[in-house]
Amino acid sequence: MQISAGDTAWVLTSAALVLLMTPGLAFFYGGMTRVKSVLNMMMMSVVTIGIVSILWVLFGYSLAFGNGTSSLIGTIDFSGLGSAVNKVVENGATYPIPLLSFVMFQLMFAVITPALISGAIADRTKFLAWAVFVALWVTVVYFPVAHWVFDFGGADSTGAGWLAKRGIEDFAGGTAVHINAGAAGLALALVLGKRVGWPKSPMKPHSLPLVLLGAGLLWFGWFGFNAGSALGANGQAALAFTNTMVATAGAVMGWLIVDRLRDGHATSLGAASGAVAGLVAITPGCAFVAPWAAVVIGVMAGGICALAVSVKYRIGIDDSLDVVGVHLIGGLFGCLAIGFFGTSFTTGSGKDAFTWGAKGLFYGGGWHLLGIQALGAFSVLAYSFVVSGVLGWIIDKTMGMRIERDAEIEGIDLDQHLESAYDLTSTVGGVLGPRTARVLQSQEPS
Amino acid sequence: MQLSAGDTAWVLLCTVLVFVMAPGLALFYGGLVRAKSSLNMMMMTFVAVGIVAILWTLYGFSMSFGDTGNGFFGGFQLAGMGELLNKLASNGGQLPIPALAFSMFQLMFAIITVALISGSIADRAKFSSWALFVAVWITLVYFPVAHWVFDLGGAQAGGTGAGWLANRGILDFAGGTVVEINSGASGLALALIIGRRVGWPKSPMKPHSLPLVLLGAGLLWFGWFGFNSGSALAANQLAATALTNTMLSGCAGLLSWIFVERIRDGHPTSLGAASGVIAGLVAITPACGFVAPWAAIVIGLIAGALCAFTVGLKFRLGFDDSLDVFGVHLVGGVVGCLALGFVATKIANPAGKDGLFYGGGLTVLGVQSLGVVTVLIYSFVVTLAIGWVINKVMGFRVDQEAEVDGIDLDQHLETAYDFSSASGGALGQRTARATHTEVSS
Repeated sequence: MQISAGDTAWVLTSAALVLLMTPGLAFFYGGMTRVKSVLNMMMMSVVTIGIVSILWVLFGYSLAFGNGTSSLIGTIDFSGLGSAVNKVVENGATYPIPLLSFVMFQLMFAVITPALISGAIADRTKFLAWAVFVALWVTVVYFPVAHWVFDFGGADSTGAGWLAKRGIEDFAGGTAVHINAGAAGLALALVLGKRVGWPKSPMKPHSLPLVLLGAGLLWFGWFGFNAGSALGANGQAALAFTNTMVATAGAVMGWLIVDRLRDGHATSLGAASGAVAGLVAITPGCAFVAPWAAVVIGVMAGGICALAVSVKYRIGIDDSLDVVGVHLIGGLFGCLAIGFFGTSFTTGSGKDAFTWGAKGLFYGGGWHLLGIQALGAFSVLAYSFVVSGVLGWIIDKTMGMRIERDAEIEGIDLDQHLESAYDLTSTVGGVLGPRTARVLQSQEPS
Repeated sequence: MQLSAGDTAWVLLCTVLVFVMAPGLALFYGGLVRAKSSLNMMMMTFVAVGIVAILWTLYGFSMSFGDTGNGFFGGFQLAGMGELLNKLASNGGQLPIPALAFSMFQLMFAIITVALISGSIADRAKFSSWALFVAVWITLVYFPVAHWVFDLGGAQAGGTGAGWLANRGILDFAGGTVVEINSGASGLALALIIGRRVGWPKSPMKPHSLPLVLLGAGLLWFGWFGFNSGSALAANQLAATALTNTMLSGCAGLLSWIFVERIRDGHPTSLGAASGVIAGLVAITPACGFVAPWAAIVIGLIAGALCAFTVGLKFRLGFDDSLDVFGVHLVGGVVGCLALGFVATKIANPAGKDGLFYGGGLTVLGVQSLGVVTVLIYSFVVTLAIGWVINKVMGFRVDQEAEVDGIDLDQHLETAYDFSSASGGALGQRTARATHTEVSS
């Protein structure tokens, strides 16, 4: 098949947008921690980019998308990616984009997923132990699960993942990314235990502008994540884009309304968290629902996640930055919502006509779709939770996963990285711009 | 017409770029205010994103670009946007991009316009009143004005349902009237309704974080490439022209603003550099697809210098347009729109017109002035009315004490920074719950 320059440009751009989500996540998480642990929080994301990218080239892409016959895992025939250079993408159909652009696009998903987990174990994890966990986790959990859901096999569908084969609708990773990361985060938070002082002492975000910057960059990159998953610049991409925008807007409003009704104030942390909750929830369904349904899914996801993040205080699990409350719950909700709101679309006409999507309960499709969605959501949840728990337990027993108590109280940045985030000691009282100078001037004579 | 993957890719990318102008603006404005009101400043933008995107889906796109209306109003037949999926964009001609992509591109313009207004009422507006204002303003002002200027009608240019200014051939490539003059005039009106901040202009209200301002300006500039060259709605020569002019005018605005500062105040400031970039970008917005690169530089130089002077006017006239929405967006927008009357040329865009300097006579300048004046007046008057009603009904301003203490604490129960690690700062909802657990246990 001829390479399409337009489709390739869009997928390459989308890959870059998705990469930016990981630094965005580092800002988002970094701003939410206390000032003494912001660097460690950001470093957990940054080191993930390094580790996962290398493993992806060595064997990761091949384990996830290799052209084998197993529905549980790929092969190792693409190891090193040398043989991918001259191919176009075949993933259930043939796409007019270079295989390497698809490889890079999918890599960014593999990078952000473990990075999301780090929010559950803020302020207290040995950096080396985290790095080992990332390498093991992507190998044993992410690569296989990505194969289950995202690999539609060759052009004739052989070697498709077992969930993909059954027709699970997960456009951009509600199961493979969000439920996966959320369940792993829960397991790790249980292995590592609570932070010193939690929940007695309040652990407030040290910089909310940083959180809002991170949320803005995440939202920005998420357009690549969702609309890029169409693997072409076409009507399907435009639909995914639209739903991503309006669902997220709905979730911001949903979370703020809950904030306002329950606590009396609409908070900026709520707006940022609401945006992420909406993005998470629309991720699996972004090309399978109509824009009005996306607004409904968004508003509900914002409200549900706003309520879910407080459960950790009741059950005493220190999921520090709400990976469970936002990614697991939002991902579950988004996957199951497709069973109700999912519908079928057609773009183009004549021989260009392209139809996709199954009808959910509200469109007369019966319970079938909801059943598959539930099967996918809960099997990924269970697999990820159990395997992550085992990995965490082994690492904790062998090399120790948690820093010492004293180091945690003094701040993990100093202990693990011998740095502190800010040095504002040389600050004088700001500078006078012309506008403020004029203000002072106008003050003098009177 | 066949869908073009290249054009679609470009328009989708530009839509993402225009989206990031909203967080960029939040950072730009958030850094300009004092530390005690930085979150509220950023939240005004974030909540605008939420509200406008939903209204756009429900009826906004239809009001702006529907085909069943008249010169002033687009109609409601596209409400819900459900019908758009399988259509190509038609706006004065069949465009080879999905209508949903065009719709999302235009949504980002609506978002940024209303968010711009928030700069004029920094530090003192009730959050719920602002949210209500956003919903009403976008409906009564933005959607109609966007229809006037941006809706070129159905598949034939100037066809049925085109906006009345578009019908008269106004040159506004990316929103000098709809976005910049519109937000600037509204900002002025709202600043008059809501009154001065406590202590203004006696006490200096300095930007609390200039690096945040520069980061915001950088993201705005980045996104503005999508704003301007994406308005070509295709990846073609016109998009390249617009991108070139956008780059040049931003640079010229930057240089002329800090040059004025150096001459007038003795020091070029980082605040001046950031503001100069914005002034240059504002001014080139209507013109970027209609002028030659040399003219873009001239427009940027004029806008940078002129805006550097007009931002001082508020101190003389005594209206607290806190972050200079009037001085930068209204003035810059007017410069750009009127400049087209002189320097527009068909060399840059065969579908454009020739201005005075290219032998086109005074007609272009006439139409441009008509557009500028009507949008300015409509926006100013209607905003004044909306603001006045909201102020009477629910109050637009926080209490004086709350304002002095900091609006972040009063309206959001948060503070932007907590560098103490141990105590101090305010309680967000999650941490409030933590303390709550502590108290009860």
